Amino acid sequence: MTRRPRNITALMATLTSSCLLLAGCTGTEESGGSVSTDGMISHISYAGIGGGSAPQANYNPFLDASQLVATNFVYETLYVIEQNSCKEVPWLAKSYSWRDSRTLVFDIRDGVQWNDGQAFTAKDVAFTFNMIKKHDVLDTKGVWPLLDSVKATGDDQVTFSLKEPGASPFTIINSVRIVPEHIWSKVKDPTKFANAKNPVGTGPMRVKSFNPQQVVTERNPRYWQADKVKVKEVWFKANTGTPEIEQLKMGRGEYDTNGMFIPNVQKSYVDRDPKHHHYWYAPGMVMSVYMNLTKAPFEDVAFRRALTSAFDRGSVARKAQLGYVKTASQTGLVLPGQSDWLPPGTKDGGRVGFDPKAAEKALTEAGYKKDSQGRRLGKDGKPISFKFKVPTAYTDWVAAAEILVKNLKALGLQVELDRTSPEAHDEDRAYGRYDMMFGAHGGDCNMSLGFGHPLGSDGTAPIGKRAFSNEVRWKDKKTDDLLADLRTASSKRDQKKAVAGLVEIMQTEVPMIPIWYGAKWFQYDTTRAVGWPNAKNPYAAGGDNLILLTHLRPARG
Amino acid sequence: MIYFIRRAGFLLATLWAAVTLNFLIPRLQPGDPAQALLSRLVGKTGVIDPDQLAAVRKMLGAPDGNLLAQYWDYLGALAHGQFGISYTYYPYSVGDVVAQAVPWTLMLVGVTQILSFVIGTLLGAWAAYRRNSRVDTVITLGSTFVGTLPFFWIALLLVFVFAISLNWFPEGGGYGGGSSPGWTWLFFSDAFQHSVLPAVALLITGPIGWIIGMRNNMVQTLGEDYARLARAKGLPRRRIALTYGARIAILPNVTGFAIALGSILGGTVLVESIFSYPGLGRLLLEAVTNKDFPLMQALFLFTTVGVLIANFLADMAYGLLDPRVRRTEAA
Repeated sequence: MTRRPRNITALMATLTSSCLLLAGCTGTEESGGSVSTDGMISHISYAGIGGGSAPQANYNPFLDASQLVATNFVYETLYVIEQNSCKEVPWLAKSYSWRDSRTLVFDIRDGVQWNDGQAFTAKDVAFTFNMIKKHDVLDTKGVWPLLDSVKATGDDQVTFSLKEPGASPFTIINSVRIVPEHIWSKVKDPTKFANAKNPVGTGPMRVKSFNPQQVVTERNPRYWQADKVKVKEVWFKANTGTPEIEQLKMGRGEYDTNGMFIPNVQKSYVDRDPKHHHYWYAPGMVMSVYMNLTKAPFEDVAFRRALTSAFDRGSVARKAQLGYVKTASQTGLVLPGQSDWLPPGTKDGGRVGFDPKAAEKALTEAGYKKDSQGRRLGKDGKPISFKFKVPTAYTDWVAAAEILVKNLKALGLQVELDRTSPEAHDEDRAYGRYDMMFGAHGGDCNMSLGFGHPLGSDGTAPIGKRAFSNEVRWKDKKTDDLLADLRTASSKRDQKKAVAGLVEIMQTEVPMIPIWYGAKWFQYDTTRAVGWPNAKNPYAAGGDNLILLTHLRPARG
Repeated sequence: MIYFIRRAGFLLATLWAAVTLNFLIPRLQPGDPAQALLSRLVGKTGVIDPDQLAAVRKMLGAPDGNLLAQYWDYLGALAHGQFGISYTYYPYSVGDVVAQAVPWTLMLVGVTQILSFVIGTLLGAWAAYRRNSRVDTVITLGSTFVGTLPFFWIALLLVFVFAISLNWFPEGGGYGGGSSPGWTWLFFSDAFQHSVLPAVALLITGPIGWIIGMRNNMVQTLGEDYARLARAKGLPRRRIALTYGARIAILPNVTGFAIALGSILGGTVLVESIFSYPGLGRLLLEAVTNKDFPLMQALFLFTTVGVLIANFLADMAYGLLDPRVRRTEAA
């Protein structure tokens, strides 16, 4: 360096050269080839550590809000409910049986060890459940409202007594992650336990290192199905919080898997490396038009039914949702994943086609006539006018709402788009301050929650009070009876009967109008690892990490 | 002496007011922190079980009960240097989280603020000294032009050119995943590389205010009678500019600088968000969005106290530099 820097370019050049002297400028992480000689995947990296912009070491599996993502790889459940087709996969329990309609017995798998070498037993399971009973704030899944007692009835058997007969608590019991008694019984206050040092779990990975930019976990050699896990390390890299930059990092191949929304994923992800970059967007929740059922004209079932054929769902899926997902069925079920539950003989999966003429006719027949200016009149003789609320920040929702509003206007309805902030939008929906807006529901492997949340009258509240889940304010005796049947039914046959009844309510009473299925965003990279789930091999959903880890194989060699 | 005692008394009174307002304002805000926390968890759908809500509220120790008793508890905790448990980073305390972020902000923003002040004041003085020359035109016009560009745009441009297109510097973060914070060479070099882009962004926009302020002040002082007299007496131009011009012109800038140092936090939100720098600014943004009352309160309190103390120190410096201030106050 003979010249003094005179301008920014020179200054930058100087800085870079000094940067090069300082041991590698960027990409300090990437170490060598992707293929190892031992038939293992050297590592896979996930986008995001969890735990906010200043992540703290926290692997307490009950502190859902602040724990790090790595916690999911350390702790396991009795069964894993696979989120694509809702299969029940035996995990820490090898099987279960119903002693009677209120007594559920799990047989614990033999030979499972905690990652510190101690044996995992039925006692650990009973301890975990009884601990979150004692410290009820840890029961964030809400399992104890459904349980009477949990006891270890033998070295490899745990017995759950339920408050009410019925199979519906099964999925909730299996969302509780099991912790070791020999560690947690010594913890004074588990609600304040960050579990930051070498968390002991049964899972496939154990924590190797933490810093707020990256958490590294390594393969647990004592894992009960260690022979199936070919991943040596799982890395969690801090998210920058800027979607554009995250997309760029994805396109560069910095993450092996991610679950973020990417506008035009084909161009900005797949095309960057078409051989290795893939995505699979399985249908997730049902995105519906919510109508305020306490207001005219939405309180009139004939009006609601007429609107089912008024919406151009195909356009919404194609244009607003970029064709990533399919149009939704009026049944409220998520298809094709839940097609098992469709009542026999349901035509076209219960999908209602776009038929403006039929909608027109149905409205007129229901007594909603048009005036000389072509405006549709209400029962009070005045033109029907209302607002469609949509959060400005969700551009895909806005695009969808624009299409739907156009459809409604074509029928002579005076509809305006009302844009708000996402927070105000969610508040207004919960408090019932709206005419029409989008809402999401369903998609749960627990059918009783999938239908119970949006339709059960126990989840609603008067307008002006916060409704916890039934935001359309659907109150119906028959629905509640069916939900009770569904909750207490122990056999699949009885459950299906109740679901069929609820599907019929969705189709004839139209408490809401499903439009499209929200996608389960899932992108994956096959440079290092293959065996990811996809539409051709939908063995699990992209978020079923524990199942995925046992399926991944090295890309070559 | 009376001047200094008065200033100190004023400092104490404003500190108390700040502490009290800091206690009141979050509590007057609508919204429920437990609800906000859960909404963040469940995402767009907003389905929240009442049991879950009750559990989270209990866990957070969400504030309820007598306001006066709360105020008393709050003062007691403050006296012990306790700021409570962060809602976002439960079960970690606010102190832990803030302590982790402070060095980053101090290093990045503190250093660039000082550099900006020094560079800006020097450039401004130079422009005034060479008034109406080419140097003056370039400096004045240049800084006015750059001053019209929005900061985030400059910052994003830097990211785009030097991080994304050229790949010379990392696009964000305080350090890479490969190095862990500690007294190691690897970590320092890594942290340095990560700080270059945000520092450059701050140094492009930072000095502008100082340049313009310094130049205008100095042009004015150089036009005063005493400067003219000095010139008439035949003192060298350079000496007039430095002792008669710059020394007096710098006074308002000193106050400004003290306040700027005290309010580092407010100015750092944008730069830290763009570069996802692990400092106080990002923490503040997150605390506000999550309704993390304890964290928010601690951060606001630090800023307010920082500004007040900086102001106090500036007053002290002023009193020392300019005897007229002391005399007017005492009279």
